[in-house]
Amino acid sequence: MLKVKNFRKKYQQHEVLKGIDIEVDKGDVVALLGPSGSGKTTFLRGLAFLTPGDSGHIEFDDQKIDIQTATSEEIKQLRQKMGFVFQNFNLFANKTALENVEEGLVIGRHIPKAQAKQKAQEALKKVGLLDFQNQYPSQLSGGQAQRVGIARAAALNPEIILLDEPTSALDPELVADVLQVIKQLADEGKTMIVVTHEMAFARDVADKVIFMDKGLVVEQNKPIEFFDHPKSPRLKEFLSRISAATVAHNGFEYEKATIIGNKES
Amino acid sequence: MNISFLIHTFWLAIKAIPMTLLITGASVLIGLPLGFLLAWIKIKKIKILYPLTIIYTSLMRATPMVLLILLFYSTLPSLLNVILNRHLHLEIKIFDVNPAIYAIAVFALIAVANLSEVFRSAILTVDPGQQEAAVMVGLSPLQTYYRIIVPQALVSAIPNIGNLTLNILKGTSLAFMMTVQEVTAVAKTAAAYTYDYTEAYIDIFIVYFILGAILQLGFKFLERYLSRHKVRGTARQGA
Amino acid sequence: MPPFSFKFLVSVFGEVLPYFPVTLLIIVTSTIFSTLLGVLIARGQLSQSSVWRTLSQGYVFVLRSTPPIVLLFLIFYGLPKLLLLTLNININDWQKSIFVVIALSLLFASNLAEVFKSAYLSVDGGQREAALMVGLSEWQAFYRVTLPQTIVVALPNFANTIAALIKDAALAYVIGLVDMMGAGDNLISRNFGHHSLETYLALAIIYWIIFVVVEQGTKYLEKRLGKSRAIASNPVEVTA
Ligand SMILES: Nc1ncnc2c1ncn2[C@@H]1O[C@H](COP(=O)(O)OP(=O)(O)O)[C@@H](O)[C@H]1O
Ligand SMILES: [Mg+2]
Repeated sequence: MLKVKNFRKKYQQHEVLKGIDIEVDKGDVVALLGPSGSGKTTFLRGLAFLTPGDSGHIEFDDQKIDIQTATSEEIKQLRQKMGFVFQNFNLFANKTALENVEEGLVIGRHIPKAQAKQKAQEALKKVGLLDFQNQYPSQLSGGQAQRVGIARAAALNPEIILLDEPTSALDPELVADVLQVIKQLADEGKTMIVVTHEMAFARDVADKVIFMDKGLVVEQNKPIEFFDHPKSPRLKEFLSRISAATVAHNGFEYEKATIIGNKES
Repeated sequence: MNISFLIHTFWLAIKAIPMTLLITGASVLIGLPLGFLLAWIKIKKIKILYPLTIIYTSLMRATPMVLLILLFYSTLPSLLNVILNRHLHLEIKIFDVNPAIYAIAVFALIAVANLSEVFRSAILTVDPGQQEAAVMVGLSPLQTYYRIIVPQALVSAIPNIGNLTLNILKGTSLAFMMTVQEVTAVAKTAAAYTYDYTEAYIDIFIVYFILGAILQLGFKFLERYLSRHKVRGTARQGA
Repeated sequence: MPPFSFKFLVSVFGEVLPYFPVTLLIIVTSTIFSTLLGVLIARGQLSQSSVWRTLSQGYVFVLRSTPPIVLLFLIFYGLPKLLLLTLNININDWQKSIFVVIALSLLFASNLAEVFKSAYLSVDGGQREAALMVGLSEWQAFYRVTLPQTIVVALPNFANTIAALIKDAALAYVIGLVDMMGAGDNLISRNFGHHSLETYLALAIIYWIIFVVVEQGTKYLEKRLGKSRAIASNPVEVTA
């Protein structure tokens, strides 16, 4: 469904992405891993043309885009197929939770107001925040804000959702709820690319795990293979540096989420 | 102390309040949209217009208000007379135009320059992530500007807009130099017969205190109302 | 209206610039006195005593609404009367510049008090606590740690306020003081109201230069002082 070829990006002299090739199939959840500064954010934002890449090709279904010559019309069309979940939420500060979700439906998609409200409320209900629909972002906890962020992206029913470290700005005890919501989207068959440091989550939910380092894709595989039999030395080192303690902790948070999830369903 | 004069003149001054408020209100209201326009030119660095707005803003902010008033009032009517009547033969009685019009023009020019700076910094303090989130849900740049950026900028600009309005209000005390019959002019004129200047200025002082107090409280209220959804200390957005 | 004369415009500089020292003296003395009074009022606003707090907050609230020209005339006409009546002191033969300095100092003390107060409050209380914990006394913590940071934070708004003071000082001529504005006013009278445009333009240019000097000087100071602290403040003082 999505094919990226030879994606490159430079900041002045500094070559941040040195030719990334990635393929995502419909319904797949791709976990993007890598040390800090390896270019994960740059890549994800480049896909959405928030900070456009320098060169490369993007193929989305039957749309083919040359990054160098992309027109604003092409970019608009591409973005319509995408949802984006930001690390620091970026909820519209002047709008309530409900209005945040409605905004894209009414203004971006031209859905009639009444119908949009219904859809928005459904989306908020799914993330467990219908009771908070009239709260402003500043009145929400980080975990609630991020769930609204996810509802805002998902309500538009995009073909793919890009999530950039959706839980790393959250207090540890709030991570579980957000991961649970993402897992729920995965179970519904949503296509996603998730940049994350939650190893247990990646292992359980992802269909494919991609390891990036220094602007290159170093290794990609099915999660079990990826974590249990890493091939490249750099991935081995990365996995061992993410100390046993962190994995255990994250695993704990994640398992808690699964339990809660099971109880609810 | 001439108490009866003090009281008599106070009522005269009170009656002149509408003129003071008219000049203040009109110039600020004219200044708001134009200020946004200039702020936009400065942020987008629009060709040709950008250096012009920068120079304009700097000149208006650097020149004492009294000097601006003298400069405009000593020049503008004669200039308009020459252009409109002698060259265009429009036969408009320039010197019969209500001087309040000139006063509004001068203070609006001042307001625009200051508001453009207020809005420029207010717009720049809006987190860039807001704009990114907006394009990702399909808003156009213009829609993003007036649905997301402007409302947030306006809220953070309210205290500065209040300061500016207060400064324009105080500035109207100089409008007597343009023969406008506002609070200061009326009280001064009354004092000219009896030389009770101290009493006249006490009256003006009190009137401005009342107007200023209402304005300060009004803007405090507005600020609180508009930022009602901002719970103090827990704003996690745009950190 | 005689046609615009560039030659006259140039000659105005020669007429008014000799009075620059008068203007400068007023500005400098008013800056000093308003700063001292402003610090006192800021202290009062932050004081434990509710009497001091109310008094200084009331002062700021009232003076914020007072037009400079009103305070100037009030001091010029009213203060001699008041002192004569209450203390039997005759100050009628004081120089006019003294009344101007009193009025400007009273007025801008209230603005500066706000600047100092908010700068002081913006310096993290943790700084003082950290200083106390490494063995500094309360006073040492203030003048070695809190005060230097307060000054850096206050600087941009302080400069903006002084720029406003400089502009309001141009009103002094209305009570008959002959500073640059007064000299320009006299010049226009001598020309029977002619060439007022050239005269005012020349004055405006001088004030613009003063403004730019203050502005650039502040930027330079900010750069030198601000190194130790990433200043996140984004002041837009309305100077109208
Ligand atoms: N706006 C920018 N200007 C210059 N360098 C940048 C910019 N944004 C990111 N970088 C650099 O690009 C590299 C990759 O950053 P990023 O994509 O944020 O990494 P990751 O998300 O994997 O931690 C880093 O070395 C970072 O310093
Ligand atoms: Mg990142």
